[in-house]
Amino acid sequence: MSDAHTSSDEDDLYDEGDYYSQSADIESEATEADIEAYHFECVTPEDVDKLFATAVNDLTDKLILQEAGVARMLLHHFQWNCQEVVERYKKNPAQTLALARIRSITVSPDNNNAHFCQTCFQNLRSGEFRSLDCGHQFCADCWTAFLEVQIGQGRSTEIACMSQGCDILAPMEFVLQLIAPKSALLEARYLQFCRNDWIRTHPQLRFCPGRNCQAVIRVEQILAKRVKCSFCQTQFCCRCGGDYHAPADCETIKKWITKCADDSETANYISAHTKDCPMCHVCIEKNGGCNHMQCSGCKYDFCWMCLGDWKTHGSQYYECSRYKENPNIANESVNAQAREALKKYLFYFERWENHAKSLRLEEVMREKIQNRINQKVMAKEGTWIDWQYLLDAAALLAKCRYTLQYTYPYAYFLDPGPRKELFEYQQATLEAEIENLSWKLERAETTQRGELGNQMVIAEKRRSILLKDFLSP
Amino acid sequence: MANIAMQRIRREFKEVVRSDEQSIKLELQEDNVLSLTGYITGPEKTPYEGGRFHVQITIPETYPFNPPIVKFTTKLWHPNISSQTGVICLDILKDQWAAAMTLRIVLLSLQALLSAAEPDDPQDAVVANQYKTKHSLFQQTARFWAQTFAGAPGPLNPDFQKKIDKFLEVAPRADRHTAIQQLSNFDWNIDKAIEDVYKSD
Repeated sequence: MSDAHTSSDEDDLYDEGDYYSQSADIESEATEADIEAYHFECVTPEDVDKLFATAVNDLTDKLILQEAGVARMLLHHFQWNCQEVVERYKKNPAQTLALARIRSITVSPDNNNAHFCQTCFQNLRSGEFRSLDCGHQFCADCWTAFLEVQIGQGRSTEIACMSQGCDILAPMEFVLQLIAPKSALLEARYLQFCRNDWIRTHPQLRFCPGRNCQAVIRVEQILAKRVKCSFCQTQFCCRCGGDYHAPADCETIKKWITKCADDSETANYISAHTKDCPMCHVCIEKNGGCNHMQCSGCKYDFCWMCLGDWKTHGSQYYECSRYKENPNIANESVNAQAREALKKYLFYFERWENHAKSLRLEEVMREKIQNRINQKVMAKEGTWIDWQYLLDAAALLAKCRYTLQYTYPYAYFLDPGPRKELFEYQQATLEAEIENLSWKLERAETTQRGELGNQMVIAEKRRSILLKDFLSP
Repeated sequence: MANIAMQRIRREFKEVVRSDEQSIKLELQEDNVLSLTGYITGPEKTPYEGGRFHVQITIPETYPFNPPIVKFTTKLWHPNISSQTGVICLDILKDQWAAAMTLRIVLLSLQALLSAAEPDDPQDAVVANQYKTKHSLFQQTARFWAQTFAGAPGPLNPDFQKKIDKFLEVAPRADRHTAIQQLSNFDWNIDKAIEDVYKSD
């Protein structure tokens, strides 16, 4: 695969240039200690074909096989583990071929009937007959019609002999020989289905889940790590294919998403966009990502989450992210327990939703920053490079808030105990720093550049500490 | 494609007609080769013995590469056949179909299915449950159905008859088929059967 185009390498180059380019991607700061670091390649279907061809050639050489088709079917059956195939084949070739449904151990069909096709019931000249390794003869027309139906139903590598009870598989060469002269479209579909089947069984390949994206991700080992498709820019978890979800694991996030879908009715009620100012009761719409609110009427500083005075949130201990369970719960009635369970869920859901919303709003802010920089450059207030730190800060803010959003499903499913307490403490400190960063960035014109830089370092530090402690490698 | 299907059906049709097997029969429906009616007689030493069961066979255009679509049009009490719709659960009519199989094999397999039910892979859960837990009641019910709907010989179970009459007295809007279905579903417990009819009203 050395000749294949590997986009992560390209990404690295690109990232170094990021300091001076438009999209500030903090990924370039990834170091060896970065727990989220993950090496992957983003390849095209053609690259994948080359990869499979190389593997097939390798095995054909190693086992001195006559047909590439046999090697391909062996590899597909044994999940492309070349070493395992070689070991098994050397030990017992007949059994290995039987396991992969290439050749049955007992081959003895009668070929006497080779003038009568069991499918169309016609007597034909023997030259028009074909059979797989099992020897069951059918006429070429029937084979072609059969293959058309099978491919039409989305089958490819699993197409087996037409004979009753025979499970010997049709090699690719056999299929292509019959269908290629008939229809180029059918041939293309067959090849695509085959490739998809192989990718599915390959332990180092994953489809990009992006809409209409043909790209394939190649990794050493499939882990629940963040992968970004270099073709469609979709970011996803390499293991489950869903949105990246650190520090929560794939199972937790699946449970959470299901739960959220189930409870969408109650969720509607909480996704109301406005709250009243706790001081002067004027209706306030949240139009920025920061949870540190200041009422435009009475200038009261408060927290959007708990509506409490922001002063108590400041530098000390940010407690807004922690859910306090009712300690008397065991003594309450079933109804009260259900109410408490709903309250607990709503608490976490509200924060999850809120951070998702903040992320979207901060995306808008990022565009505004971009415009502001353009204006400043036009007005000769510093060069474009001078203002890049603002975009860097916005990118970092998005990255931190994304992780923060996914800490809530994680916390929801954590059992109470010291570990949960530690997690929520770290979550709280991370949240405090993120809100600080958001506040400073929204007022970047009046904030010192150094101060903003410090805040960036602190927020990222908090984020990496949390991941290091709670993201299972 | 349909060409192969037509050719096949014509030949298969002849094959069944020519064979002297008394227990299976195949008929064309209104000259349309892709729609047939099959008949099988109930196998000996089963509750279905002496009955004549109709199946409706629809041939897909992709035949013989896809299986024919087969269902019973005679009502039948059997774990692998829906007592309501006649839909059949049989592997060779699904994923175990092979292009070299024929309608003759299908009919013979259906006969074999009547002799040997697979209650662990049921189509009709109510019937399967009765088959497993109250086997003699299942046999009596299956016999009663075969006599009523498939013309199997012998005197009808008088106890069942009485219950049907009583059912129709209490639920005059129901017909005889409904009465038999309801009572069979509830193991001939008349109170439960009636209660259920009123519940669903």
